[in-house]
Amino acid sequence: MSYSDVLLQQVINGVSLGAMYALLALGFTMVYGIIELINFAHFNIFMVGSFFAMWVLKLTGLIGQRVILTGFPLVGVLLLALVGVMLFCGVLGVVIERTMLRPLRNVPGTAAMITTIGVSYILFNVILLTQGAAALNYPNPMPNVFWKIAGATLHLREILVWAIALLLMVGLNVFVRRTRMGKAMQATAQDQEAARMMGIEVDSVVMLTFFLGSALAGAAGLIFGLYYNFTSYVVGYTAGLRAFTAAVLGGIGSIPGAMLGGVLIGLIESLGGQLIATRWTDVIIFTILILVLVFRPSGLLGRLVPRKS
Amino acid sequence: MTQSLGQKAEVGGATGSMLRRIPADRRRKAIVVLVAIALMFLPLIDRNGGDIDAAANACAFAVLALGLNIVVGFAGLLDLGYAAFFAIGAYTYGILSSWQVQPMWSDFWGPFQWLGLVARIHADGVPDVVHFTVSFWLAMPICGLVAAFFGALFGAPTLRLRGDYLAIVTLGFGEIVPIVARNTPYLTNGAIGLNGAAAPKIFGYSFGVDSNPYYYLGLLMIAVLIFVSFRLQNSRVGRAWVAIREDEIAAGAMGINRTHLKLLAFAIGAAFAGMTGAFYVAKLGTATPDMFMFPVSVMILVMVVLGGMGSVYGVVLAAIILQLLQSWFLQDLTSWAHMLGHAISVAWLQKVDLVQSIELIFGIILVSMMLFRRQGLIPAVRATPALSLEQQTAHAGRGGFAVPIRGIEATKVEPKRAMLETRKLTRRYGGIIAVKDLDIVVESNTIVALIGPNGSGKTTTFNLITGMDEPSSGKILLLDQDITGLPAHKITERGIARTFQNLRLFANMTVLENILVAMHSRTTTGPLGAVLRTQQSRTEEKDAKERAIEIIEAFGNRLLPRTNQLVKELSYANRRRVEIARALASRPKVLLLDEPTAGMNPMETLELADQIRSLRGMGLTVFLIEHKLNVVNDLADKIIVLDHGEKIAEGSAEEVHSNPQVLEAYLGRKAAHA
Repeated sequence: MSYSDVLLQQVINGVSLGAMYALLALGFTMVYGIIELINFAHFNIFMVGSFFAMWVLKLTGLIGQRVILTGFPLVGVLLLALVGVMLFCGVLGVVIERTMLRPLRNVPGTAAMITTIGVSYILFNVILLTQGAAALNYPNPMPNVFWKIAGATLHLREILVWAIALLLMVGLNVFVRRTRMGKAMQATAQDQEAARMMGIEVDSVVMLTFFLGSALAGAAGLIFGLYYNFTSYVVGYTAGLRAFTAAVLGGIGSIPGAMLGGVLIGLIESLGGQLIATRWTDVIIFTILILVLVFRPSGLLGRLVPRKS
Repeated sequence: MTQSLGQKAEVGGATGSMLRRIPADRRRKAIVVLVAIALMFLPLIDRNGGDIDAAANACAFAVLALGLNIVVGFAGLLDLGYAAFFAIGAYTYGILSSWQVQPMWSDFWGPFQWLGLVARIHADGVPDVVHFTVSFWLAMPICGLVAAFFGALFGAPTLRLRGDYLAIVTLGFGEIVPIVARNTPYLTNGAIGLNGAAAPKIFGYSFGVDSNPYYYLGLLMIAVLIFVSFRLQNSRVGRAWVAIREDEIAAGAMGINRTHLKLLAFAIGAAFAGMTGAFYVAKLGTATPDMFMFPVSVMILVMVVLGGMGSVYGVVLAAIILQLLQSWFLQDLTSWAHMLGHAISVAWLQKVDLVQSIELIFGIILVSMMLFRRQGLIPAVRATPALSLEQQTAHAGRGGFAVPIRGIEATKVEPKRAMLETRKLTRRYGGIIAVKDLDIVVESNTIVALIGPNGSGKTTTFNLITGMDEPSSGKILLLDQDITGLPAHKITERGIARTFQNLRLFANMTVLENILVAMHSRTTTGPLGAVLRTQQSRTEEKDAKERAIEIIEAFGNRLLPRTNQLVKELSYANRRRVEIARALASRPKVLLLDEPTAGMNPMETLELADQIRSLRGMGLTVFLIEHKLNVVNDLADKIIVLDHGEKIAEGSAEEVHSNPQVLEAYLGRKAAHA
């Protein structure tokens, strides 16, 4: 493999990672857009999602990478896991919002953010205490099909990751732009008070936002497991922070921004690891986070949200 | 039966009232002294070294919680990477006292050797090297300063961000520091951990590995920091922090340099953490990056949340509870669960390890405290005395302020001079021009009214003048000096004070505190002065309080009985009065009032109009926005009319009222021509 091939390979890896980060970043950006809250629980909704999808896959009889499916059964099993995990995480997000965040919606200051940290910690430790600290082998029914592009390898799993991510993002975009509820979401993001006066039920919009964001995090959890063939209680923290950086980089509150930011952070992670050193990756990503927040808080595509006074 | 019950109740009531006869603060003091004495004798009662060791660690975390309380509780900044400063202090001490860094010996080190800061290590066959031997007592303040330096360095660009962004940036910083520590083994020995940090020595006696001296040192640190916290809280600096926490924009209008004060809180918090880092490393003899990861930051945050954000005794109590929970109770509970498991032969009970669930407990504490008891175990707020019926009935007085307000007269400028001036002042929002080429002159010692239909740019003009908003073009002059683009607190310092249309009081502060906050730009006490309570700071505080009471007195029994009430408990009209009192407290040359009589009944309106007139009598210049035209006609020396951001008329009441453009703007074209 020549150096340029290595770089090409890293681009492929980076875009795959980026697709996952983008899905996760969408949840941050949507919730922030609607109620201006950084939802730290999102980190571990993603992690719980990867576990839930694993249980669904195991229930269908898959064990590790030994059972290989093709054709209709493969699509069926993956679709089952995807729909299952999205529903589960969506409901989990709504329950968290409904029971723990709604009572704090109008409390000024940092109370709601502190609560999301607490929720995140609870999810994290429930999984740690019940599932143990060791990384678990992830059931993966995909055949080891790959294509050679120049000197790099493109696996089926990468194409699958891109396809799921693209499909969900296009779906989300259509939903937000075309449907009645989507328009209600946009209106609420711009001005909650005005939206309320137009007859929009803000509470339902917030619940819907949590449902969609958490469902996408669940999908990202499944993708994580299929891509890396493992999951563990710690995966939410790193991935969550990177996805948050992606949301900020793209412009928090902006849906296309989250997608762009996700792919960029994925590329930075894979290429930065290649060109500098993996052990500095986190430092690079956090430096980007801090620099963007300080010098361009609206991000690459973000509109500057008017400060609520 | 009923009799005996009654007697019991009586006895209980008697002791209760006896206790109640002791003032609350003295009762609290007595409890604190008793607890302190009990803690001092703990090592004599409990001779188990492990227990004292746990208690010493609890002390370290109590100090950390006190430090974070200044950042999160006092200044309202959510810092999720606080352990980073703990790490910086720890590694600074480690490097200054361990065998980790050993540069080649050169003559450069000679003077340091003479001072006892380094030693020259000689071994046969290799060149001599330097061994750092900085004394713990010298290193501890250095560690505090280094951590504060990093706090300031990191805080300076980020503290301008909104609060929630700051949380995530601090989280990032908290991640970076341990990674850097792990990746720079030359300085830190990486993941293996620092090599033999020296124990503190006092008069030749080394603390060694005995826990008792560390325990006493820890208690001393807690005592010092409790003292520092209280001194800061009840000072000019502490009030400014609360103001920022309550309402940033209003705090700026009170003359508070927000970035500066947030930075101060951040740096003081960091310094506490840095000093604790030195303590902790000295006690442990080593440091690894894992000791400073995110869970540590969260744990300290849990202590602050559990104790009550801003509550000094609360966070100390919470820190101790949580530390003891970890090192004692959960272990005991685990062994009891195992015994129970054996007794009733339940397999999972025999294996359960509750110590591991501590983080789960942290999560539950965070959520349940936020949902059910946000003020914490020991709330930082105090109860306010109820008002008597007499005090509640207020009579509208006429004639304005009877006594001139000190400080207002002092700023007198010769009359009929251009006090405040705007030249071609313009503000665009995207395609909308809110204020266009506005030329205004407000002459000294006059009352000028700014009127116009809703959305005509009146409040925007005020915002531009007071630095809440930046003009797109044009100039603003105060006594011929250009003040365009200055930050809000500088403009207050120069002598412009304002009230807000929608009221921006600090709702959880008392009337007196609100007024004291407004004196920020006229007072100078810094953190050091506040902690040491220097002669100068005491005089200043006394003078500020006297002036504040004078201003409150000027409003008669509307405000005076409510001096120590929280502003959120006041009526709407009284809040308006507090806003005006607060603006006066900053000793302005020009007072900007944005709809001062909104929400007042006709009698109250007349009372306030008289007061505004008497302010002019004291030499003050008043520039006001008002919708009640009878008030405007009665008060104003000059009226300026705005419509769609442009000045359409200016002059005396009669001149303005006969102006056809004004009639058109207010009543519409047809009506104006009818």
